[in-house]
Amino acid sequence: MPFVSKPTFRSLAVLAGVVLACGAHAAAAESRTYVRSWFGQAMYSEENDCPGGVNPPWSEQRLKDLADLGYSGAEIEQMVKDELAGGNNRGRINQIISMRGRVNGEPVNPYSFPATVVDPKLHAGGGRYAYGFNLDGRGAATKNGFEDPETHDKGVNNELARALGCMREFRGTLTSSPLYWDWTWGQLKDNEPAWLITIAGDDLGKDGDVTVTIDRALEHLKANTDGSARRDATYRVDPDPRSHQVYRGQLKNGVVNVAGPGIRMLQDPLVAMEFRMQNVRMRLKLKDDRTLETMIGGYQPWADLYYSFAGGGAGNESASTGDMPGIFYLFRKFADADPDETGQNASISATYYLQAIPAFVVPVAAPKMAKGQ
Amino acid sequence: MKIAGLAALLAIGGVAQVDAAEGEAAVRRIGADQYRNIIHDVFGASIELGGYFSPELRINGLGAVGAAKITVAASDMEQYDAMARIIAGQVTDEKHRGQMIPCRPAAPNAPDDACASRFLAKVGRLLYRRPLTALELGAHVAAAHAAAATMGDFYQGVSLSLAALLSSPQFLFREAIAEPDPAGGARLNAYSKASQLSFFLWNAGPDLPLLDAAARGELATAKGLVRQVERMMASPRLEAGMRAFFTDNFGFEGGAVTKDTVLFPKFSASVAASAEEQTLKTIVDLLLTQKGDYRDIFTTKKTYLTQELAAIYQVPLAGEAPNGAPDTWQPFEFEANDPRAGILTQVAFTAFHSPAGRGSPTLRGKALREIILCQTVPAPPGDVKFNLINDTSNPLYKTARKRLTAHRSNPVCGGCHKIVDPIGLALEDFDGGGEYRTRENGEAIDTSGELDGVAFSDAAGLAKAVHDNPAAPACAVNRLASYALGRAPSASDKPWVTMLETGFAASGYRFIDLMRTIALSDALYRVTPPKAASAAGG
Repeated sequence: MPFVSKPTFRSLAVLAGVVLACGAHAAAAESRTYVRSWFGQAMYSEENDCPGGVNPPWSEQRLKDLADLGYSGAEIEQMVKDELAGGNNRGRINQIISMRGRVNGEPVNPYSFPATVVDPKLHAGGGRYAYGFNLDGRGAATKNGFEDPETHDKGVNNELARALGCMREFRGTLTSSPLYWDWTWGQLKDNEPAWLITIAGDDLGKDGDVTVTIDRALEHLKANTDGSARRDATYRVDPDPRSHQVYRGQLKNGVVNVAGPGIRMLQDPLVAMEFRMQNVRMRLKLKDDRTLETMIGGYQPWADLYYSFAGGGAGNESASTGDMPGIFYLFRKFADADPDETGQNASISATYYLQAIPAFVVPVAAPKMAKGQ
Repeated sequence: MKIAGLAALLAIGGVAQVDAAEGEAAVRRIGADQYRNIIHDVFGASIELGGYFSPELRINGLGAVGAAKITVAASDMEQYDAMARIIAGQVTDEKHRGQMIPCRPAAPNAPDDACASRFLAKVGRLLYRRPLTALELGAHVAAAHAAAATMGDFYQGVSLSLAALLSSPQFLFREAIAEPDPAGGARLNAYSKASQLSFFLWNAGPDLPLLDAAARGELATAKGLVRQVERMMASPRLEAGMRAFFTDNFGFEGGAVTKDTVLFPKFSASVAASAEEQTLKTIVDLLLTQKGDYRDIFTTKKTYLTQELAAIYQVPLAGEAPNGAPDTWQPFEFEANDPRAGILTQVAFTAFHSPAGRGSPTLRGKALREIILCQTVPAPPGDVKFNLINDTSNPLYKTARKRLTAHRSNPVCGGCHKIVDPIGLALEDFDGGGEYRTRENGEAIDTSGELDGVAFSDAAGLAKAVHDNPAAPACAVNRLASYALGRAPSASDKPWVTMLETGFAASGYRFIDLMRTIALSDALYRVTPPKAASAAGG
């Protein structure tokens, strides 16, 4: 039977364990459980949203980087010819680019030490729209605030969308997802624990208070043979408290709005150690087809994000991110929260888009002989 | 039964042929599972078969009956020959020969007739399911000798003869050798009787105790037969026999069913294979482990599921295996108010009896009539138009019920549809992939129907109607008897079949009791004498 259920052991245990500033939530009469089936940055790219133009593809940008290093036009032209011709010199461009950082004139890994590379001054986004939330509380008075294309809220803080909005690999929409996030999701979904979302309330068919619980599963996302996420699969909740977060929210007209201090989800250390945000906001839309569509916004440590890109090195740069030190400088420029002692902001406002499908969620110690719900 | 050159091959052993006319014992080709079971019984589970088996021929809904009519094509013989060589090569290789061959040759690079004879006699008895005749053994030992001498290797010589045993009709076919019955007429001789019994109860050749009992003449006595039957019924191997019957009866093909992956993304080859296993586990648990009532297979809430199947059934089932490891089987019981009950609501029925892109009340109703109730449903006329039925997005006929009602307006179609659709429509809450639903194209699904005058409102009601329908247990008797005999029961078998039905009811429809009764029946071993004695060498 479909998974809309009476109070489950899990939902009650979660509620019992919550420490909330406002006090404990009453036991819920209904809960719905989901597993994340897609995750990536929420982008709203459109024509003419890059005043300086969309940044060139990596194949061209790297030649500009060579020029920034001091190579002449003729030298660069020769290197390109050598690359096309094959032979012993075909890898020269990649050799230089992959060590283009300079410290005292000596080559340095530009991905681990991006500040040793001359800022390529990549273009940033300047459109009117970006998904997200009014994180700084200033609303329409926010300098450079966006308008959310869905809710039409003004003063949306989403500097990550601005920073990456003119990078080809990060342009896209909710229905035509950006290359980088498509690639990342494809890598991560089968190799990292699934994310579980439980929404509990007295009656999820009516407006009212709800609790949103986000957990990590012991299982990876279960897939059908075509690679799509499998609906109605069962997941066990990882008991590690570091990935257990509970939020209070308000359900109105089928949409749950949540505001919380933060979110922190352990991921896959080979790609991205953890996903964390402060001052988190969520907008979860309960759809008629039993799925969930969610926007998650907040301030994300940009170093987390940068080093998740940089971990892939030259391969990532050429295949999926574009100029990585350039991105570093964009992050540094547009970061808008958590200033350090030098005044450099350590976090950047960001919004992510998450889709989720129905799933069963069980505590780890669930009995073997399960009963239908 | 026709095999090129069979008569010549049989001449070596002097085996009399029995014509496979209706009502008479038939010589049946062993099936793929039977072949595997015999090889593993004789040589161990580590021996790999290689090769593949051609599809069965199903007659009267059973491959066990078709086995008596099936021919062996040249391509089949190629595969049997290839498998025989692969198996023989492994048995005689350095890794296995120490365990498999009960003696060592005087010299490994030369023939040793005594050792070859000892080995070939031992395995030959198990493979032929009777002792080799002196002529047969002599021929195979001579062949081993010649091969060993030519190749300078005793084991290669023995391997060649073993491969010949494995390619021979005496191995590939179940002999049905008749002898006069002191009570009149003819009966299977002791070894053929042992085979008949063993393939029925265990889906494998006779083991050593059964062959020894045959050799001692014990199977000809009631007491001796009872002793062997009880031994075999008490063995864990009875499960294989029960599984083999239901696999054949339900037409399971090892997960060969395919579905449109866009419409039914959860369905896959592994789901198909697991669905068969789910139904078999459900049946074995109820009928063998619990020694339960056969009719309860249509109403039981208890089954077994994997995590993959649980997603189709939309129930929670957590596994404990590491990520990437195969799913594990777990017992599961549906809630009392769950719409699923019995094997008719399982994926192996609802999805298997549907086309790739939709459900089908007609096919499901037909399957129930033919497989469960042993009733014949005529084939559709050659010129029937399926456009309307296949038009699952028709805005006027949003549900299958409405599309079929429109289709049945043609009186040519109505006659057959009225006997199958009212059954199948009760299962319309299960889509073509076996997943539960209450609406089709946004419209509520009406699952009311009737079976032989018994009305019901949903699948649970259908399950109860089948449970209570006397044709269901009668069909089980008929099918199991056909399976055991390798042919449909003839007119002369009617008193026996009636006795079986009566006994089945009296036992509370305990399926294992029915198996026991058949195993102990003279009818299983009685044969019609051949019209004229067949000379050896035919």
